[in-house]
Amino acid sequence: MISRRELLALSGMSLGIFLTPEGFSVGKIFEKNNLKPTLWASITRDNYLILLVNKSEMGQGVYTGLAMLVAEELDFPWDRVRVRSAPAGDAYKDPKMGTQLTGGSTSIRHMHEFLRVLGASMKEMLIQSAMDEFRLRREQVKAQGGYIRFDGRAVPYGELWEKAVRLPLPTKPKLKEPSEFIYLGKNLPRIDAQEKVDGKAIFGMDVRMDGMVYAMVERAPFGSKPLSFDASQAKKVDGILDVFPISTGIALCGASVDALLEARRKLRVSWSKSSIEGLDDSSLEKLFFEALQKEGRVVERRGNTSQEWQRATKKLSTTYLLPYLYHATLEPMCCVADVKKNSCKVFAPIQAQTQALNAVKDITGLAEDRIEIITTYLGGGFGRKAHVGFVAEAVEISKKIGKPVKLIYTREDDVLSGYYRPMSVALVRGTLDEKGRVSSLYFKVAVSSGIDWASAQGLEDMPYQVPSLYVETLSLSPPIPVWFWRSVGHSHNAFILETFLDRLAKLGNRDPLDLRLELLKNNPRARRVLEITAEKIGWGKKQNVGLAYHFSFGSHVAQGVEVIFEKGEVKVVKVVCTVDIGPTVIHPDLVVSQMESGIIMGLSAFLVEKVRFSDGKPTTLNFDSYPILTMDKVPDIEVHVVRGKGPMGGVGEPGVPPIAPAVANALLWGYELEINRLPMSLYK
Amino acid sequence: MLELNINGRTYRLKVHKENTLLWVLRENLGLTGAKYGCGKGICGACTVLLDGDPIRSCITKVGSVLGKRIITIEGIPSDHPIKRAWVELNVPQCGYCQPGQIVEAYALLSKNPKASRQEIVSVMSSHLCRCGTYTRIIRAIERAQRLMGVKA
Repeated sequence: MISRRELLALSGMSLGIFLTPEGFSVGKIFEKNNLKPTLWASITRDNYLILLVNKSEMGQGVYTGLAMLVAEELDFPWDRVRVRSAPAGDAYKDPKMGTQLTGGSTSIRHMHEFLRVLGASMKEMLIQSAMDEFRLRREQVKAQGGYIRFDGRAVPYGELWEKAVRLPLPTKPKLKEPSEFIYLGKNLPRIDAQEKVDGKAIFGMDVRMDGMVYAMVERAPFGSKPLSFDASQAKKVDGILDVFPISTGIALCGASVDALLEARRKLRVSWSKSSIEGLDDSSLEKLFFEALQKEGRVVERRGNTSQEWQRATKKLSTTYLLPYLYHATLEPMCCVADVKKNSCKVFAPIQAQTQALNAVKDITGLAEDRIEIITTYLGGGFGRKAHVGFVAEAVEISKKIGKPVKLIYTREDDVLSGYYRPMSVALVRGTLDEKGRVSSLYFKVAVSSGIDWASAQGLEDMPYQVPSLYVETLSLSPPIPVWFWRSVGHSHNAFILETFLDRLAKLGNRDPLDLRLELLKNNPRARRVLEITAEKIGWGKKQNVGLAYHFSFGSHVAQGVEVIFEKGEVKVVKVVCTVDIGPTVIHPDLVVSQMESGIIMGLSAFLVEKVRFSDGKPTTLNFDSYPILTMDKVPDIEVHVVRGKGPMGGVGEPGVPPIAPAVANALLWGYELEINRLPMSLYK
Repeated sequence: MLELNINGRTYRLKVHKENTLLWVLRENLGLTGAKYGCGKGICGACTVLLDGDPIRSCITKVGSVLGKRIITIEGIPSDHPIKRAWVELNVPQCGYCQPGQIVEAYALLSKNPKASRQEIVSVMSSHLCRCGTYTRIIRAIERAQRLMGVKA
């Protein structure tokens, strides 16, 4: 049986924003190998392919990339493909992660086989259905461009679909050979572009329900909770419906955002003393550097770094400090929830549907099949929207007032809610042997606790074949919530590792490119991206250029930059990026745009980003105090996509890590600047 | 009752003059193309045109726009060269800031069709895009200039 939830999702009525062509049908579900075509796709009578995508579209182009896989194997016209978000549910869990989540640059990697098999199976079922209907032999029938063709006739898939889905699932659907591809590897138009330029794409912030009211929450500062509140004045504001405590603070409900903003100015809350009262940037710094004295967890140990340190004549030791970073999704957290006695409906821009479903179950006590969670477009994600606390809040508020609610975070609420990229400090030591080769690397990294497993990313698994390597991590726990931030640990550790290699090269009077290539002898993919990048950025011809390489999420990325440093200002003139995500590139231009995107976000972090603290609270509250990069600071970016041999890599995150060290390295060689702490604006 | 002229249509609605234009557009009129991003006029996601000039609707009182012509992203035709260029170059990523960017670019090219690269960057730098579509936005505006026949 198909559930009401699945039916709703398939018919697209939930949001009513997508074209809903005529003659929709849902056949029986095939229970085999988790491949149930009707759960994922349908072809309407008037020949539109409707796909349910289980990954969140947050800009990375996943609706386009995943739809291409199905359309390719099904052989279906691209302009008749429609995508909707899959609801939260077991059927839509990532087959490799066991949870419904968009993260870790995995969407294409985890879904491509499944979706190609889906498309190929649908095609074979359509062919079989035509053979049955028109009494044809296999060799008489061809499926192409959305039509079954035989004897000079062309029958649209949509006319056969209802019968086709009743057929048994093909046991071994034949996938196309790369030479047969009509879409894969081509730059098709993004499936979401037109509605996004028309302002018609529905983000979480744009969802409206009948009878919906608005809500905001006055949240407790980090390490604190509300003791009491006085809402008497706030409740007098025209349009305010109710003010009440929820688990994260004091909720306000009202008829408009304007009313809520006014009421918040009149709400009085007394908070408990914060456990980080008085904490500021310098005390945080002290806290972190002191933590480096403690014993941590050794995650990698080969050779003997302490022996090398004793023995070496050329050696270097330094420390790094990298700040808390804010995701700054242009769409702040928001969620629409409608909790009824026997059901609950949620529309939200989320990356973690399974977690949202669990949270809703906990709060409402409803069974899973009474809960419908629809993922809207995300106005940016970058990891932040994989934390679904804002969904829980909206559900809690709707349950309390018995109305559909749109919970909105103001920009200030969004910054103050935390879930930053962890702050980290590191002690790094390295040695060169008598030939100037890197003989040992030692890293001790202390991070703000919360996602500790990510703290050694990019160090424990570095591709450099260093004879002696030691990596130790430890965490400390100021009550500042941290979370995934586009490439997370890689964004720290690529900076530390890649800038340190250049300093070692300088110490040993070596070319940093040669020094790397030597450590990557057995890694032709890494060498190739470095060599191409070096050539294109003018390596060896200019002083003010820098290079960095990093392997993350299965992809090799090298970036080269040319910088000018004048009057304390860094101007990045040009960036060259070479990326190798493996032999199969579904949509080259989407890879390019993810590299551009990662470079700009990483450069922004390098130049200006830091969550600042004073008196136990962030003092960065909006884009005036937490600036992000603007167009006038953006360099020319040239991206080369190469196809190396090996497993497929991801693209959403790997563009971020190399840019900061590449710029720092250019400043080192061009201007003798050693950057040990970010952002660069601190050096002014 | 206030009267607003939006995208060539007249709307009569019961709101205070002190209410914010952005929220009136979004909540009262269902025109959700203009986005909330910062509430302080910094990010540009809420940009609409007032008598042809780009303004930040998140810091504009509805009382100050009476009798003036408002154009939102919904009022710019889908096949306008700017939108066509945007689609052709796959500019939008998450897409949230794009309505504001497009409205700003539309105003720029309406007033200064032959805007130079430098002029484009100087005007568009008042808009934030976290996905980093900046380089494509520049290319799209220059592409629109060619589609409009104002630049070779």
